[in-house]
Amino acid sequence: MTDFELIKEYLPFLIPAVLIELALAITGVISVLRHPHYRFGNRILWLLLVIFVQPFGPLLYFFAGREVE
Amino acid sequence: MDLLTLTKVNKAFGSQQVLKGLDLAVPQGAIYGFVGENGAGKTTTMRLILGLEPLDSGTITFAGQPVRFGQTQGIGYLPDVPAYYGDLSAREYLTLCGRLTHTPHLHERVGEMLHLVGLPDTRRRVHGFSRGMKQRLGIASALLDRPAMLLCDEPTSALDPAGRREFLALLASVHNETTILLSTHILSDVERICDYVGILHAGKLQVQGPLQALLAAHTQPATCFTFGTETEAQTAATLLGAVAKADQVTVTADARAALTQLLAQHLMPTAFNPIKASLEQLFMEVIA
Amino acid sequence: MRGYALILQNELILAWRRYRLVVLALVFLLFGIEAPLVAKLTPALLKSIGQGMTITLPEPTSVMSWQQYYKNMTQIGLFVLAIVASGTVSRELNEGTLVILVAKGLRRNAVIMAKYTMALLQWVVALLLAFGVTYAYTAYYFPDELSPHPWLALWPLLWFGVLWLAIIILGSTLSKSGFTGFLLGAGVYLGLTLLNMFKAVHRFNPVSLTNDNLALLTGTKTFWSLAPAYAVTLAGAVACLALAMLVLKKRRL
Repeated sequence: MTDFELIKEYLPFLIPAVLIELALAITGVISVLRHPHYRFGNRILWLLLVIFVQPFGPLLYFFAGREVE
Repeated sequence: MDLLTLTKVNKAFGSQQVLKGLDLAVPQGAIYGFVGENGAGKTTTMRLILGLEPLDSGTITFAGQPVRFGQTQGIGYLPDVPAYYGDLSAREYLTLCGRLTHTPHLHERVGEMLHLVGLPDTRRRVHGFSRGMKQRLGIASALLDRPAMLLCDEPTSALDPAGRREFLALLASVHNETTILLSTHILSDVERICDYVGILHAGKLQVQGPLQALLAAHTQPATCFTFGTETEAQTAATLLGAVAKADQVTVTADARAALTQLLAQHLMPTAFNPIKASLEQLFMEVIA
Repeated sequence: MRGYALILQNELILAWRRYRLVVLALVFLLFGIEAPLVAKLTPALLKSIGQGMTITLPEPTSVMSWQQYYKNMTQIGLFVLAIVASGTVSRELNEGTLVILVAKGLRRNAVIMAKYTMALLQWVVALLLAFGVTYAYTAYYFPDELSPHPWLALWPLLWFGVLWLAIIILGSTLSKSGFTGFLLGAGVYLGLTLLNMFKAVHRFNPVSLTNDNLALLTGTKTFWSLAPAYAVTLAGAVACLALAMLVLKKRRL
């Protein structure tokens, strides 16, 4: 089995998964950039977390890190 | 008739006795200035009146009904730092409040209140509001269901002078709709709009009554003499049995007699001003 | 309970505007995809590790997919929900947002119940979203007869959430920190898991509801074999909520 066929076989898993992670990262990044204050941590930390620590980074940000005021 | 009365109210937090037999009465229709230093127990008193804290002992009666912890009486409340859900708009927040109290014709009433306090009826969320706007939203929510009484806790202390003036004007304008109890440590605010005053100190109300009557009863008329030099002021002070402050001497005795005495010693003041009885004088006298 | 429906509605609006509902849904969809993916990948991964050796590899089955699903839900999903619900009461107490509303007649008990309902709603929806995705992939890729009771297997876990979220809400009411709920939940979970080492306790222990899903799935255990644990779970939840209400009554808003 070639690599291409291998990847093709997993596409039904990969495409939705990548789309979801992308959506999480993008909403996270937009929100982090639009809000200057956080419950804890700073902007760089949250940017790294929402982009690279999927899916827990965005989760932690929206439920514990985001500050409205 | 008194709308709100507190009788022998005691309240302690742990070992700290905050209120020690507080008696307070707010007449119907008054704007009552509730004065005291920071930490004197003004906020605690208000929370007791609202049923937000349990009483240790004593009674609170509002409109003839006893106030109990956990039961609200329909008293409007503006906390010192009002906190809202930042992701709602002003209209949405007021609608939430109005539905809690089953306010009739809520949609129109909310519009009316927003107009009264001068907030825009837009979708703008509360988290972008300035302190002054938050205070005004607080007034709108407190008055939404037309309460017989409004409690405002230090409403002006966070505002700049312009915002303060605006806010006091707003309070004065709603005065015909509701009785107001206003706590503050800013005495000039009380002098500007209140007709009743009570001074809280050491857990008790030291004095209360109509502002003008209290001033008349507790403070003596005084006169302030200003002299050309400080030495002159010193001599004059010794002569009159008073204390000189820089080039000024203040006496509480009859101004005419004092002036005759000064002139007899060839002490000529460059100016003399009668001092109006002030709440500050009264306050200092009471807490001394 | 004056204000219960209003606060619940408000919770939903706020969660939507704070992007929480969307994020939660996406995360659980991801978990749902991951379960069958892991099941499908495992033999291939083993093969690449064991190159040169001749080992007989089991073909992936529906059971492996569901096994991964329950692993995700109990080891991660529960704790994600703990994070979701952990700040819910403490944040209100920190910020003082309840003062005006309680002065207007909102009952403190209604706050606890609305927060609890909201947490439970999120748990049920999150679990079902992941379940739906795993179900669809599993049916397509592993159409075997090994998992006859997928629905039945889900119920105990759903039911465990009733107690789990009551514990988190209690923790959130106890302290000003947004993490107390999480820590209390984790502590109780650890305690109950240790307790399960005693065989006699197993039938009564709420935590069994998170362990026996596969046995129910394959039909080696019956749904009602855990009946005492369902009852203990419910009783525990009621006790936690009652305690949370008592605590909130005493707390300064």
